[in-house]
Amino acid sequence: MNTEDILKQKPLTPSQWGRKIAWRHVVGVAAVSFALFPLIWMISAAFDTLGSLSSQKLIPDRPGWDNFHELFTNPDQPYLKWLRNSLIISSTNAVLQMFIGATAAYALSRFRFKGRKLTLMTILVVQMFPQLLAATAIFLMLAELGKSIPALALGQTTALIIVFAGGALGINAWMLKGFYDTIPSEIDESAKVDGASHAQIYFRIILPLARPVLAVITLLSFIGTMNEFLITSVILGGNQNSITLAVGMQQFIDGQYNARWGPFAAGALIASVPVMILFLYLQKHVVSGLTAGANKG
Amino acid sequence: MLLGALNAFTVWSVPILISNKSWFFAIYFVISTLVLDFIFLSKRRIATKYIVPGVILLLLFQVYPAFFTGYVAFTNYSNGHFLDKETAIEVMVSNSFAPTGDEPIYMQVARENTTQKISLIVQDPRGYGVGTRDGFSIIPSSDLTLTSDGKIEKIVGYSILTDDEVFSILEEFNDFKIPIGNDRFYSVSDINAVELVAQNLSYDPNKDQVTDLLTGTIYTPNDNGSMVSEAGEEIEPGWTTTVGWRNFSKVINDERYRQPLLQVLAWTFIYAGLVVLTTFFLGLILALVLNHPRMKSRKIYRTLLIVPYAMPSVLSTLVWAGMFNQDNGVINKMLGASIPWLSDPWLSKFAVLLVQLWAGTPYMFLIATGAIQSLSTEVVEAAQVDGASPRQVFSKIKLPLVLMTLAPLLIASYAYNFSNFGAIYLLTGGGPTIISSGGIAGHTDILISYTYKIAFAAGKGNDYGLASAVSFFNFILVASISIYSFKKSRTIENMT
Repeated sequence: MNTEDILKQKPLTPSQWGRKIAWRHVVGVAAVSFALFPLIWMISAAFDTLGSLSSQKLIPDRPGWDNFHELFTNPDQPYLKWLRNSLIISSTNAVLQMFIGATAAYALSRFRFKGRKLTLMTILVVQMFPQLLAATAIFLMLAELGKSIPALALGQTTALIIVFAGGALGINAWMLKGFYDTIPSEIDESAKVDGASHAQIYFRIILPLARPVLAVITLLSFIGTMNEFLITSVILGGNQNSITLAVGMQQFIDGQYNARWGPFAAGALIASVPVMILFLYLQKHVVSGLTAGANKG
Repeated sequence: MLLGALNAFTVWSVPILISNKSWFFAIYFVISTLVLDFIFLSKRRIATKYIVPGVILLLLFQVYPAFFTGYVAFTNYSNGHFLDKETAIEVMVSNSFAPTGDEPIYMQVARENTTQKISLIVQDPRGYGVGTRDGFSIIPSSDLTLTSDGKIEKIVGYSILTDDEVFSILEEFNDFKIPIGNDRFYSVSDINAVELVAQNLSYDPNKDQVTDLLTGTIYTPNDNGSMVSEAGEEIEPGWTTTVGWRNFSKVINDERYRQPLLQVLAWTFIYAGLVVLTTFFLGLILALVLNHPRMKSRKIYRTLLIVPYAMPSVLSTLVWAGMFNQDNGVINKMLGASIPWLSDPWLSKFAVLLVQLWAGTPYMFLIATGAIQSLSTEVVEAAQVDGASPRQVFSKIKLPLVLMTLAPLLIASYAYNFSNFGAIYLLTGGGPTIISSGGIAGHTDILISYTYKIAFAAGKGNDYGLASAVSFFNFILVASISIYSFKKSRTIENMT
C-alpha cells in the first residue's frame, strides 16, 4: 500500500483541501482559460452579426447567422468548394498513406528476405529528408511532368495526392512495423497451417487486429493533410478551384482582416469542430500512440 | 487489372515524356513498370509485392526531390531562366518578329486537295501565290477563276474554305508564318488578311550566337544562361544552366544575402529551442499540478487542455493572427492599447512564441502525464524512506527519469519546430522585413519560410536556384538533428 492509497482513505478537512488542492484548481482554471481563449473568441465572432473585429464583444449584442450566410454565398471565396477539396484530398490521402504504410510494414515485420535491412535503413535515412524541405524541387518536377501528363500538372488534385502518397512509407512504415512485431507470429503461423495464403493472412487476420492503430494513423494523417499548407499551396496555389481550406482561408483574410473576420470565424468554426470532436473522441488511442515512442527508448 | 492499367499508362505516357525530353521520368516509368510486372506476375517474391509499390513512390516523390534540390542549387533556375536553351532561343527569335507597318494584304484560306494541307492564297504584289509554313510560290494565273470583285472562286488543286470553316480551325494560325525570303514573312492578321513581318533576331547554331538584323549587334551566351551583347545588353528569356557554386557563394560572400541568412539561421535555432523549452516546462508543470490523486476533475481538465491540440493548426494560427491585429485585435482591445504585435521585430518574436506555447503545450502535457504515471513508485518511495524532501524527490529523481524517458520525443519536437512552416508564415508571414535583406527575409523567418519566400512568395521574382541552395543547408541541419535523435533512441539497434 503506497502513500497515495493511505491519503485516499481519510477525507480531507476543508483547511487541508484549501492548502493542498485549491491552488491546483486555480492553476487548472488559468490554463484552461488560456487554452480555450481563441476558440471562445472564434465562436463569438462567428455569431456576431456586426461581423468585424472592432465591434466585437464576448457575447455579441445581436447574435445571428449572417456570417454563415455570407460565407456560403459570396462567390469570391468558394468556401464549400474548398471544404469539399480538403475532404476529398485528406480522406483519399489518409487511406492511401495508411494502406501503403500498413502493407509495407506487414512484409517488413513478417518476411525475412534479401534487402530487408536495406529497405528499413533506406526508409530511416529518407525520413531525414522530409518532402517539406524539397518543396521547390517538387514544384519544378511537377512543372516538367505536367507538360507530358496533365493529371500530374501543377494545380491538379491528383498531383498533390500522389506526391503525398510518395511520403507515406517514410511516415508510417516504421511505426506500424513496431506494432505488427507485437502481434504474436503464432497466429499467422497456425493460419498458414490451415492453408491460408499470405494475402488472406494479411487482410483477414493482421489488418483486423491492427484496426485501432490503423484508425489512429488514418485520423492523424487526415488531420495532417487538412493542416498542410506549404506543399499544398506550392502545388495547388495557382488554381483557385482546387485549393484546400488551409490555403483558401489564408487568402481569404490576407490583407483585409477587419472586413472579413466574421465570415472567416464562421468558416474556421465549421472546419474545426468536426475535427476536434473526432480527436477528443479518439483521444485515448491518440495519446497512447504518441507515448508509444517514448517507452521504447 | 491494376497492373494492366499501369502498363497502359506507361505505354501512353512514355512517348510523350520522350517527346518533351523528360528522359529521367521516361526511364523511371519504364523501369518501375517492368519491375512491378515482374514481381506481380511471379508466384514468388511475396514480400516484395507488399513493399515495392510504396518504395517506387517514395523514390520518385521523396528521394528524387531531395537530390533534385541538390542539383537545382547549382543552377540558375529562376524567373526568366525557366526554359532549356533550345526553347529559349526559339522564343527569343519568334518574339523578335515585328510588323513592318505595310498595308495588310488580302488572302483566302484553302486546303490542298491531295494532302489536305492548309495553304494561304495571297494577293502578292507579284501575283497570286500559295503560301505554307515551308515556303511561298507564285501560281500561274491560268489556274485561277476569279469572281467579279477580285476574289478567288476556284483554284486548280485546292479548295477554298468558307469563313465558317476558317473560324473552326483558327488555332492553326497561331504562329503560322510564310517565309518569303530576306527574313520577311507573311503572318496571319485577320481571317482574310496577312501582314508583312520582319524577323529582327537570327540565331546561328554553328557560331552559337544571336544577331540583331537591324543593328548588326551580336549577342553571345554568357555563363549565366543569357544571350548578351558586348555592351552588356541581355535578351529575354534566358535558359536554365548550371552555374557552379554561384548560389552558395552568393549566400556566403554577398553581404546582402549573408547577413539575413545568418540572422534567419540563428533565429531558427533559438525559436525551435525556446518552443521546446517553454512548452515542455509548462506542460510538465501542468502535468504535475493537475495529477493529484485527490482532484476529482482531472479528466475534465485534461480534455479541455488538449483542445488547442485538437484544433486544426492552420485555422488556429490564423485566428491568433486576427487576435494580434494591431488596430482591431481583441488582445489590444482588452489591454486598451495599440501594440504593434506583428510588426515590431521583438514583439513579433514574442507573439510567435506565445502562439506556439498555446499550440504546443497540450502535447507536452500529454506526454509528461504519461511519463509521470509510468514512473515506478518504488523508486520514489525508497527515496522517501531514505528521508528525501519532496523537493529532492522531484529534482533528483522524478525530473531526471521523466527527462530520460522523453528525450527522444523532445528531440523530435525540436526537429518538427525547426521546420514548422505554418506556425511562422501564417502568423507573421515571416515579417516584419529585415530592411537590409532587400525585402525578402523577415525578423521571424525561419529557414523554411525564408526558402519559400525566395522561391515563391516575396514578390521579388522566383529564384529557385538560390532557394534550393538555402534548402540544402536546411536539409543538412535537419538530417543532423535526426541522426542525433536516432543515436539517442537507439532505433538502429532495435532493427530486428
